[in-house]
Amino acid sequence: MAGSALGHAHPALSSKRIAARLDWRGGVVWLRDADGAVLASGPVQRIERMPGGPAQVHLPDGWLFETDADLNGLPGARPDRWLSRLEAWHPRLAAVALICLLAAVALWRWGLDLLVALAMAVTPDAPVRAMDGGNMVMIDQVLAEQTQLDLDRQLQVLAIFDGLVRHAPPAPWGEYRLLFRDIPAMGPNAFAMPGGTIVITDQLIQQFEDDDVIAAVLGHEIAHVSERHVLAQLYRAGSIYLLVTLIAGDPGPVLQDFLREGNALLALSYSRGQEAEADRLGVATANAAGHDGAALAEFFDALLDEIGEDELGWLSSHPALADRAAQIRGMAGGTD
Amino acid sequence: MSQLQNHQVRFTGDAKTYFGIWIVNILLSIVTLGIYSAWAKVRTKRYFSQNTVIDGRHFDYHATGMQILIGRILVILGLIVLYIPILNLLAILALLIALPWLLNRSIAFNARMTSFSGLRFGFDGSYGRSFLVFLLYPILSMLTLFTTYPFVVRAVHRYTISGHRFGTARFGFDSPIWPFYRAMLISMVWAVGLLVVGFFLIGGVGVFQELAMASQYGVEPDPALIVRFMMMYVLFFVAILPAAFIYQAYLRNSVYENITLEGGHRFRSTVVPAQLVWVALSNALVTVVTLGLMYPWAKVRMARYLAESTEVRAAGPIDAFVGQEEGKVTALGDAYTDIEGIDLGVAI
Repeated sequence: MAGSALGHAHPALSSKRIAARLDWRGGVVWLRDADGAVLASGPVQRIERMPGGPAQVHLPDGWLFETDADLNGLPGARPDRWLSRLEAWHPRLAAVALICLLAAVALWRWGLDLLVALAMAVTPDAPVRAMDGGNMVMIDQVLAEQTQLDLDRQLQVLAIFDGLVRHAPPAPWGEYRLLFRDIPAMGPNAFAMPGGTIVITDQLIQQFEDDDVIAAVLGHEIAHVSERHVLAQLYRAGSIYLLVTLIAGDPGPVLQDFLREGNALLALSYSRGQEAEADRLGVATANAAGHDGAALAEFFDALLDEIGEDELGWLSSHPALADRAAQIRGMAGGTD
Repeated sequence: MSQLQNHQVRFTGDAKTYFGIWIVNILLSIVTLGIYSAWAKVRTKRYFSQNTVIDGRHFDYHATGMQILIGRILVILGLIVLYIPILNLLAILALLIALPWLLNRSIAFNARMTSFSGLRFGFDGSYGRSFLVFLLYPILSMLTLFTTYPFVVRAVHRYTISGHRFGTARFGFDSPIWPFYRAMLISMVWAVGLLVVGFFLIGGVGVFQELAMASQYGVEPDPALIVRFMMMYVLFFVAILPAAFIYQAYLRNSVYENITLEGGHRFRSTVVPAQLVWVALSNALVTVVTLGLMYPWAKVRMARYLAESTEVRAAGPIDAFVGQEEGKVTALGDAYTDIEGIDLGVAI
């Protein structure tokens, strides 16, 4: 195999552009200037060609030969040849565009879940526990006071909690633990952290004497931990941000903002799904531990009376309280 | 000194070719769950570099996808720490301390991975000056309610441009302050003027009064009012977006006028603000209306317009530049500015 091509040569570490000819026979090439003097010779290191760009032949000693000619006869490594072929203007690109659309839908539908699952699988315990610890330090600094409950009541609630934990899946990144705090600003409430820390407010325990209500609420929070809801949401938001920034860095700034705004709205519906799941699993756990899980509906009814649905509005992360109460009663077999 | 020779910058790319690169980038990025986006960045930058031509010589981009991917993975791991309470306070502090360094690395990486006529660019930064121009000066200008912001912009340009080299030849930049004030004032006059005039044409005061009444007394607002409210939203875009491009146009022209390259080479930018606004806004409109499919056309059109508005006035042969052996650079800073979407605001 022998051949030659006309083009230009660039020496290493110089902006010189020299009219040159490349000759090759077998695997060896000679780079010659206009007078025929050999500038470089030896084996070809690499051949590159972007669509719309020159063919670039990397030669020994840092020489670069560029030509608009077709170098198909020149033997040498062409690492990006398949890519350049795929990118070339061709009716096939219409199919690529269509597959793009389908792939984007699939990415949205399954790819995100896969990314989130991968990220959770490789998440070690230590940083998740640190999230719990750090959050508690912040809450104690800013919001919460020591609990005002007497020790007997605390022990009773802890007993309910232990019973629930025995019937729940293990906490993924730590141990379940229940903390009592006096948080007037939050009212009757409970919340969970990814490492397994669950906080219940004095206000909730004081307002709801019924152990079944407390068991159902704690079951709900335990489900948030066991189903890894906090990290799922965090990873999901992070993955979407990264994908939009890094992939759609291309579709341009307007579309990029549009995608990010849309994502914020979708995150709301996603967290509503999580709440519904926690309701379902929480009721089941409470039932399994010998309580009446449907008492969770009572809790929502009471909240509804107190704050009124309007104040939460449709932006709330929790689905409409009345709907949730109805759904829980439905799960319990419609017996109320 | 020899006669100055003018070289018009040309952009030789076309929408068809870039469309192929772009759509394949997106497809491969999606099916690899984002991993390919590192290689996609390289393809895009290479295409636009190789098609930017001065005196028959083109630019090129030499980073590898793997370099960029490794940088991105490190940055993502670092960002995760920001979500751990308490620990994140330390991380934010560490990030603030590292920021001038990261920005230097980002500029240096891009310079080193870019070549013209077969010779690489370079950037020599300093931590101290980077800290001043990117962190301290902006904070100080905030204290003056941004009335001194043009001084920050000039300092950023002076630092980034005069840190650059082409091979061993240094770039230089200095400029009086008034072009920077002029750019800011003209774009502000546009934005504020249009906002005020439009606000009164739409009857903005009335709109807000009625809206306030509606929300206070729970009256259902008149649909016509909603339309007028939407028009105020549109007005906002008509006033603010063009102002950004007007600013860019004046800034670019005066910055290029004041760049020097060792050997007496000069540059010239002749962007017409109205034209830049037209190209940018019609690009955005076409891109949105075609759901992004015409984005490659828009991007190529902008590259062509900017190239056509740029000239190099060479004081000697472009063959005469030489380079030096350089140490390795990592893509860490580049990945950081990519992921955080940081734009250093340097006119290019």
